[in-house]
Amino acid sequence: MAKTIIPIGPFHPLQEEPEYFSLTVEGETVVDVDVELGYNHRGIEKLSESKTYDQVPFVVERICGICSTSHPYAYVKAVEDISGCTIPERAEYIRTIIAEGERIHSHLLWLGLAGHFLGYNTVYMWVWKLREEILDVMEILSGNRNNYAMFKPGGVRRDIREEDIPFVIKKIDSIVKTLDMLKKAILDDPVLHARLKGIGILKREDAIDYSALGPTSRASGVAKDVRKDAPYGAYDKVEWKMIVTEKGDVFDKVVVRVLEVFESISIMKSCLLSLPKGPIDANLADIVPGEGIGVHEAPRGETFHYVRSDGSNRPTRHKVRAPTFMNLPTCKSTVIGAAIADAAIILASIDPCYCCTERLAVCRIDGKRMMNGGELIRLSVEKTEKLKKEMGRR
Amino acid sequence: MKLPKIRELIEAIKALFTGPYTSKFPGKPHVPHKNFRGQPKYDSSKCVGCLACEEICPAGAISHRDEVTLPVPRRIMIHYTDTCIFCGSCEAYCIANNEGIKLSQDWELSFFDRKKESYETIEKELVLCEICGKVIGCKDHLIWIAERIGELAFSNPTLYQTRLKRFGLVDENLISAARDKSRADRFKILCAPCRRAMTKESEPDSEMV
Amino acid sequence: MTREEIVTTLKSRYSGQIIDFLDKSKSRIYMEIKPESLRTIAAYVFKELEARFNTASGVDNRFHIEILYHFTIDSINLLISFRVKVNRENPVIDSLTSVFKGADFIEREMHELLGIEFTGQPDKRRLLLSDQWPEGVHPLRSDYKEWDSDAIRDRGV
Repeated sequence: MAKTIIPIGPFHPLQEEPEYFSLTVEGETVVDVDVELGYNHRGIEKLSESKTYDQVPFVVERICGICSTSHPYAYVKAVEDISGCTIPERAEYIRTIIAEGERIHSHLLWLGLAGHFLGYNTVYMWVWKLREEILDVMEILSGNRNNYAMFKPGGVRRDIREEDIPFVIKKIDSIVKTLDMLKKAILDDPVLHARLKGIGILKREDAIDYSALGPTSRASGVAKDVRKDAPYGAYDKVEWKMIVTEKGDVFDKVVVRVLEVFESISIMKSCLLSLPKGPIDANLADIVPGEGIGVHEAPRGETFHYVRSDGSNRPTRHKVRAPTFMNLPTCKSTVIGAAIADAAIILASIDPCYCCTERLAVCRIDGKRMMNGGELIRLSVEKTEKLKKEMGRR
Repeated sequence: MKLPKIRELIEAIKALFTGPYTSKFPGKPHVPHKNFRGQPKYDSSKCVGCLACEEICPAGAISHRDEVTLPVPRRIMIHYTDTCIFCGSCEAYCIANNEGIKLSQDWELSFFDRKKESYETIEKELVLCEICGKVIGCKDHLIWIAERIGELAFSNPTLYQTRLKRFGLVDENLISAARDKSRADRFKILCAPCRRAMTKESEPDSEMV
Repeated sequence: MTREEIVTTLKSRYSGQIIDFLDKSKSRIYMEIKPESLRTIAAYVFKELEARFNTASGVDNRFHIEILYHFTIDSINLLISFRVKVNRENPVIDSLTSVFKGADFIEREMHELLGIEFTGQPDKRRLLLSDQWPEGVHPLRSDYKEWDSDAIRDRGV
């Protein structure tokens, strides 16, 4: 049978992120898949070498808008690993609260998008409505819906005010109630069962071979979670359980994420209730020469940061490894053999985050010329001028 | 499979009565929570012009321009609102009790002309070296240092004279009268290199040291 | 296996291959090994010790190019980093893709950003950098200079 290549990208129509999949299909079946990245490579690792230790959290926070806590968390842990300092207990709790809040909103975002990918927009609307509530909670706790700017080496920047806690807990409780209804509605929905069960199976051996991370590997029965294996923050001080399923299909990944949201809510709530008093910043002294590694269980899996210091106030090397970087290659084992209609949701099932995976934006116009940041801004200014004229202003 | 449908039906009917979840934004203005981090704003009465915020800003959204040719030399502090990432570092590291620059509740920041509207400025009076004319610092900054170190400030003419000038206790004509490099120069407001050169030149005259 | 057992086994099994050993903290071990023994040690750690491959990070320290391969043994919370030093002028090292597939992307990334040649790496296409990026220019090398003379690095107004 003749082979056809179906391109998805370079701008994904659904995920709205720049990546390029080329699916080689025979009839309805995908026989090969190839991923091309690099449309959004911004040179964050290079940039971070020109910032001070205190400024880098803001740079890595902007690697990705959804993982805006995971990257700073792993980075500050790496810096603390170099100096070997301990941070105040209250700061540990606040970090955990923010990290779990992010996990809730990230999983809900994915769940909504998964519904959207399937053309099931009721799920999308419902889940995103709930996510809005969690973003409001994050605004109260940190001052912004995303990009929380809470982390600094040695502690946190902002304290959680006592008077906000009762309101936040009330809000979380109301979220749990609606979420419970939603969980039941999603997990026994016949349409979702028909679309998601038994497709895109990631076998346990493959998950280990590709070193898959996070919910992607936990859905395949690989019980690995940095929060349990190498406890940090307040994760060993509160009760919670790791969600592991066995089958590894897309439905199991949905189950893992939905149930993890409940765990995250319970972690967040018990941290808020038992928030210890005390300082929030260890006032980290100068960073000694050396190297450090920080890992954090982000919503998509383990985020890995490697920082090397030569004793100056800037890192000499900063390596960022986002979870999607490890999870994306698993598409070779999940998509091949699947029907083309299922390919979109299987590719999305790892909760890919390309911004994280690539870290100079270069655009091409009229086929040969390259555009850099300054020119793009100029282009946008020109467009604004045009709009201004059209609107008849000034 | 019928039961789940009833549960969702109840939710749908409930949603019918509660009305839309979305806010009527352009019609009704959105008021953010009081913890919200909005656009930073300078307070020109409290800011001392020390440039700590420029130093710490991770995005490079704060810069300054020194206008030394004006009759009253001025430092213009510039905050680029389009580059700002609202991290709050400027407020956290502000030496003037974190009040010189403060995050506000402003979040509607769109504008049309990037050349004219993308920044806001405040002006601070500068103190120049009386010999070479280089910038020493902002007047308020020197007063801030003098007040901080208390009586120790009297070991440094630059500091105590800036402070005394404020109370009108120093006659400006008197200090600037002697233009030659004499001992009187030691009581002028000088920049660090000039003060060093001055001290070195008047070294043999050890009675006053 | 406990932490001590792993350390002693690694030390006795590959005594000739280990150049330097640093026991940094309870959960961090750094080990400098000879480049030619990388594949055997990595295979042993991944297959026998059931470690998970975290990532590899390349550093140009002006004298060598250091590559650190990070493995985590989750059951005992131990992160082992294998340090390999390769020649800066002609950096060549064995590819680990034949041992585990997870090494594919990171090797392609290091090939672009640091110019390390991986022998046995089947996929030599670009992963991150743009197609216009000149050959032989590696942004994470310490002697990297701006090559694009048209680049404008101002605020654009």
